[in-house]
Amino acid sequence: MTDERLVVRCQLGERDAFAELVRAWHDPIWSYVRRMLPPAVTDDVAQEVWVAVLRGLPRLRDPARFTPWLFTIARRAVTNRLREEYARPEEPLSDVASPDAVAEVLDRAELAGALSALPPREREILILFYLQDLSLETCAEICAVPIGTVKSRLNRARRLLRDALVQKGYSW
Amino acid sequence: MTPDDMLTRLSGRLSLRRRLAVVAVLLAGAAMSLLTGLLWATEPALPTRTQAAFGAMIAVGLAWVAYAVWVLTRRLPLFALDRVVAAWLGLAATVAVAVPVAVIAARPVALLIVAVLLLAALANLRRGLTRRAALLRRKRELDG
Repeated sequence: MTDERLVVRCQLGERDAFAELVRAWHDPIWSYVRRMLPPAVTDDVAQEVWVAVLRGLPRLRDPARFTPWLFTIARRAVTNRLREEYARPEEPLSDVASPDAVAEVLDRAELAGALSALPPREREILILFYLQDLSLETCAEICAVPIGTVKSRLNRARRLLRDALVQKGYSW
Repeated sequence: MTPDDMLTRLSGRLSLRRRLAVVAVLLAGAAMSLLTGLLWATEPALPTRTQAAFGAMIAVGLAWVAYAVWVLTRRLPLFALDRVVAAWLGLAATVAVAVPVAVIAARPVALLIVAVLLLAALANLRRGLTRRAALLRRKRELDG
């Protein structure tokens, strides 16, 4: 079933359609949030995202654009949480995003570690483009920036990631 | 966390019964304010204390309405089917409560208020039905 049909069914008020939507999109959203924020808050922020989705679904005008709309909501929730974390001087961001041991194994430890050490903007664009497999246009829509900015952020993010991996002893 | 865990967390917000209960609170608050307002408007020379009591009752009813509107816009939004059900409830409440009172009161101001409310309830129902029909049409198109 396409996402658009699922979203239309949700907008009609079919309860089982929303359950299907959550089952289809929970993992991508949860893993996006998980890579952007500390593990301790991942579940709560993912729930915030779904609450916002539930609230906004009746007003979503173009169900075909569900994916960028969903990730825009997720990005807003993550940004709000990052802003709160920035406001706490005793918890710098680089410490905040370190993955737990189990996830490190699952996510290929070194790559996940290097990714979590990147600045939020660069980390976000790598996650959206490479890990969520979204197009440049969709990434641009989610981040509310021109496509050229997405490309330049991707370049910078790749370079930072490469430098981080080289520092850890990987050859390039 | 699994998708089913998330659905468990969201279950309260997905309950149709809770949505309709909030709609009922909205209608009850509106009906209370309206009836009191009509009584106030059509009774000549009420004592000051009675007027104050009517004013307080109207304020309480409007507070219920404001609370229900906040819940329905911020916490438990209405989907297409919910909107149609809520619109029918609104129309039924207007016909059942406001129309007999206005007819009994038989004052132009009361009849005018009820006429406006009836038109609003009908327009709300029409909007809900149109929106649901459009979504059903789109669903059929996507089904091929």
